[in-house]
Amino acid sequence: MSKTMTGWTRRAVIALALAAGILSHSEPAHADEAAEAYVRGVLEEANPILDAADKEARFAGIDALFDKHVDIRRVSMFVLGQYARVMTDEQKKEYVPLFGSYAKLVYRDTLSNYSGQHLEVTNSVDRSPRDIIVNSRIVNAKPGDPLANTVVHWRVYRSDDGKQSLFDAGADGVWLAIEQQSQFKSVIANNGGGVKGIDALIADLKEKVGE
Amino acid sequence: MRGRELRAVAISLGALFAAGPAAAQIDIADEETTAAEVEKAAGDTSSGAAVDPWEGFNRRSFKVYTFLDDNLLVPVAKGYRAVTPAKGRKGIRAFLANAQSPVVLLNDLLQGEFKRAGETTGRFLINSTIGFLGFADPAARMGIPPHTEDFGQTLAVWGVPSGPYLVLPIFGPSSIRDGVGLGVDLVSDPFFHIDHDWAQKVRYSRFAATAIARREPLIEPLDEIEAKSLDYYASLRSFYLQARKREILNGRSDFDDLIDIDEYEEFDEVE
Repeated sequence: MSKTMTGWTRRAVIALALAAGILSHSEPAHADEAAEAYVRGVLEEANPILDAADKEARFAGIDALFDKHVDIRRVSMFVLGQYARVMTDEQKKEYVPLFGSYAKLVYRDTLSNYSGQHLEVTNSVDRSPRDIIVNSRIVNAKPGDPLANTVVHWRVYRSDDGKQSLFDAGADGVWLAIEQQSQFKSVIANNGGGVKGIDALIADLKEKVGE
Repeated sequence: MRGRELRAVAISLGALFAAGPAAAQIDIADEETTAAEVEKAAGDTSSGAAVDPWEGFNRRSFKVYTFLDDNLLVPVAKGYRAVTPAKGRKGIRAFLANAQSPVVLLNDLLQGEFKRAGETTGRFLINSTIGFLGFADPAARMGIPPHTEDFGQTLAVWGVPSGPYLVLPIFGPSSIRDGVGLGVDLVSDPFFHIDHDWAQKVRYSRFAATAIARREPLIEPLDEIEAKSLDYYASLRSFYLQARKREILNGRSDFDDLIDIDEYEEFDEVE
């Protein structure tokens, strides 16, 4: 009995300590001014593009924005997960631009959902000095519209020389590149894994982008 | 095991101190990439083994789910859209959400989220009366926003791990924990305990109506995702697991456990 009591007391003390730890860590992580300014600039460019009534013009604008701001090579490796390390140089040459075209298709659709909406940077959280999350919200959504409470996230990558680029975009905690990684790894694994699986992925991507 | 217990206690204490529940875990594969991992990757045919050990079963179940979705739910949802004005559909969604309030309230309380329990109660009282039985949502305009809770989330807050990802033939993406939660939510509904034909009818029609009303606004988004997907199953799995994590954190985003970028740093040197 007394042994149980002691065990319980000790556990309670540890639990309290843990709870205190949780409380002290609940303060927001540091904001990153430079990354916020960078995303603000991207959004200023994006707003008129999203306003374009003509679909073709909008798509062309989104493509240009993507080419300018997304570090496509880095993202293309990320979405391969552990398979990035088994991809041959030859495969890489074919795959990286192919992934770029595919990602553009996805971004065209995704961003078009925000057409006519204006986004505004709200805050940022740095995961590391090189990996920063910038949050934005929709300014002109009507109350009651589901978009009114949507948080749109931007993941900014800062390279060694301080150059910033967009790495991923998400809404309400759901990220595109992370979803793409889940898909790509699944395609590779279900087609024999490794170099063979990557060939299958490349073939699938070609089909999607209509090459 | 002890660690888990401690975390549950820590989390509930955290909630008591109004810090809210701490990170409940859904492990979205965050690989440690080591040499052994690379070797494994070369021959790995079991994709998201960590999150989805039952992938074989789940893919078969997913086929049933998408078959029912394509041939039953989506056509009905399209018909529903054709015969109702957008405003009416919004009202129906509000009504169904309002009818779900007792279950939401129970789970708010079980999670120690007393402020949210107050919001749920307030919303239910306001919307059921001046909100025309819940068809309108004056509570939102008064500044009490809606939220949902379910027993799967309660279990998560209590520290129960999600267990493997699970696709249910009718309900779709879920996990062991959320599947159990779904069962508990069904029996914690007041109508479940009224032993009358009419109560049963209410239950079944409400279930069908909820499924249709929820599917209708997703017709185009899901079509788009399917069209662009190389692997629709894996897409929905990822979307589900990511969205569910945020839901459990009551709308807060946890950026700490995103998959790291800088794993790929070494490529800079190679090229």
